[in-house]
Amino acid sequence: MKQYVVEKPGIRKSVEEELKRKKVCAPVKQENSANFSAIHSFEEIVWGPPQTVIPPKKYFLPTSENILSFRKRDGGFEVEALNAAEEIVLFGVHPCDLNAIYLTDRIFAEKNQDENYLAKREKAVLIGVDCLTPCSPEAVCLRMDGLNPGDRFDLFLTDIGDVYFVEAASRKGEEFLRGEGRPASEIDHRKLSSVRKQRDELFDQEEKKLLPDYNDLPGLMKRNYVHAVWEEHGEKCYGCGSCNMVCPTCYCFDVEDYMRVDLENGFRKRFWDGCMLEDFAKVASGENFREERFDRLRHRTNRKLNYLFDKWGQSFCTGCGRCIKACLTHIVSPLEIANEIFQRQSV
Amino acid sequence: MKTLFTPEPAKIRKAVPQTEFETLFEMELSERSTLGHKPGQFVEVSVFGVGEAPISVSSAPAPSMPTFELCVRKVGNVTNALLSMKKGDHVGIRGPFGNGFDVNLFKGKDIIFVAGGIGLVPLRSFIREVLNHREDYNRVFILYGCKRPKDILFEDELMSWGSLEGIDLQTTVDIAGDDWKGNVGVITTLMPRLSLDPPKTEAVIVGPPVMYRFVISELKKRLVSEKNIWVSLERKMKCGVGKCGHCQMNGVYVCSDGPVFNYAALKEIPEAI
Ligand SMILES: Cc1cc2nc3c(=O)[nH]c(=O)nc-3n(C[C@H](O)[C@H](O)[C@H](O)COP(=O)(O)OP(=O)(O)OC[C@H]3O[C@@H](n4cnc5c(N)ncnc54)[C@H](O)[C@@H]3O)c2cc1C
Ligand code: SF4
Ligand code: SF4
Ligand code: FES
Repeated sequence: MKQYVVEKPGIRKSVEEELKRKKVCAPVKQENSANFSAIHSFEEIVWGPPQTVIPPKKYFLPTSENILSFRKRDGGFEVEALNAAEEIVLFGVHPCDLNAIYLTDRIFAEKNQDENYLAKREKAVLIGVDCLTPCSPEAVCLRMDGLNPGDRFDLFLTDIGDVYFVEAASRKGEEFLRGEGRPASEIDHRKLSSVRKQRDELFDQEEKKLLPDYNDLPGLMKRNYVHAVWEEHGEKCYGCGSCNMVCPTCYCFDVEDYMRVDLENGFRKRFWDGCMLEDFAKVASGENFREERFDRLRHRTNRKLNYLFDKWGQSFCTGCGRCIKACLTHIVSPLEIANEIFQRQSV
Repeated sequence: MKTLFTPEPAKIRKAVPQTEFETLFEMELSERSTLGHKPGQFVEVSVFGVGEAPISVSSAPAPSMPTFELCVRKVGNVTNALLSMKKGDHVGIRGPFGNGFDVNLFKGKDIIFVAGGIGLVPLRSFIREVLNHREDYNRVFILYGCKRPKDILFEDELMSWGSLEGIDLQTTVDIAGDDWKGNVGVITTLMPRLSLDPPKTEAVIVGPPVMYRFVISELKKRLVSEKNIWVSLERKMKCGVGKCGHCQMNGVYVCSDGPVFNYAALKEIPEAI
């Protein structure tokens, strides 16, 4: 990984150069919050809080996407795979979301490669921006190993005063810079360390604590698969699925066909689905394999802290805090569920 | 361009109604010389404009034939649309998917096939494979149960299996009129009649979720070891390839880790049965 120091106007210049050539998407203000959207000028970018309501996963797994078109032809069907992907720059992605994108990348690239996700992903340049203050009281990124993105970006900017400390993890990242900046010096590195140290201290003060050991989260979930907390929380769940929609690592989908009125042409569409919704595991015979709301809450939480953690060696909750904000009944926070179980476990 | 979600064309060569609700289809692929499936695997069948449904392959593996059989029960959108289709109509196929049965583990063994209702469909593939290589396997027991006599699938074929040497076929129905001469009662009532050699026996069970518990506890009473019991599970599926999340039970994906599971392993998965 290469490290540079770039003057603030230099970054502005890079963004403006990109804007001439490509779609640039960044957090922009939307009423009292923010949302990722295509920008037309550098000024529109929201740096730091508020966090976007919907995570950037929507660029790789759109809320709804046509994956197939078909047309009646010679008594049969002509079928065409659809895979729309455009070159975009995603600017201002927070560390928790960079980590989440890395994790969903693993899922869609594993075994049966999902071209519809991967094609969009390959065409995107990820420019991350370090968070120096927690973006909401709900954020628990420091606790859930979401605050440090490692090299999970093309470019990553940290504000170290008058300049940005810039880490470039790929050629795409270097190209974005267009030669702006100079290699980081020993002094710049020291500055970065001290900014990050301050950042960590601040986050440590402000974020809710995780009581169990992070690495024991899968074990804690396994030992407490049967626990009163599931029912107590589950009872209050509306089954609205908001926690799935806003989560950067929730990627489940549904698929449906649509026929145009000519009854000759149609398309197949995939769209976001959520394991907290009642019909998610219900089959034609009427059997529902996760019938109760607590079954579904336990499933969601275990996916984040146990099943996928076990498989990929890291929590699938990156602590972004979105579901905690979205849940009207305040029951869904994986960290708080883990804490409650930890405090009340019988073993 | 092809993606993970692109079905390939197939044509219906035959459509033979089995009961009021089930039809047996023979499908023919036009771009491949064989489906290349194992018993217990399934395909995703597309009725364009309606949707896709996972359906077990019901014919035996046939390495050099572009045709294969599916037996479909109508329960909803896609399956109803399929049953209204006829010879010459076009569908889309993805797959085969899933692990299927590893037939080598069954060679030289006695096999008990336990099928409830439409569970006979995937088992038929395995049973036919065994009959095609009869000398590789030892004794075969086939237990088949369904609701009423009119629900019996593959009736003629069952009769012909039953008449073969070394095959013990037992059928039962839950409810019957006076004209039914066979057994009445749940499938477990057939088990005490079997003369088993437990260490040499493998049991394969496919049926509705409620059936598994009863059959498994009966098999355990007859001293069949848990690791010799195999089941095939059904879940909602929207992709068949381990992505959409619908078929997940705890950390396991039925579409790609299954649908065939060994019972000793399944016991560790609380959401399984
Ligand atoms: C591995 C596997 C093998 C199968 N093999 C066969 C077979 O050989 N023959 C056969 O007739 N059926 C089989 N099924 C069941 C068949 O897939 C369903 O009946 C079918 O998907 C229902 O789709 P539909 O569009 O007709 O119904 P829908 O209109 O989708 O049915 C209504 C309800 O069924 C739900 N549903 C979605 N997927 C499934 C599912 N997999 N199973 C049941 N309900 C579902 C829908 O969400 C909806 O709630 C198999 C299922 C699996 C998972
Ligand atoms: S589970 Fe909640 S806090 Fe964790 S990553 Fe998902 S939305 Fe963010
Ligand atoms: S946990 Fe909260 S956000 Fe999630 S489905 Fe239940 S009520 Fe909705
Ligand atoms: S059917 Fe989609 S993950 Fe199994």
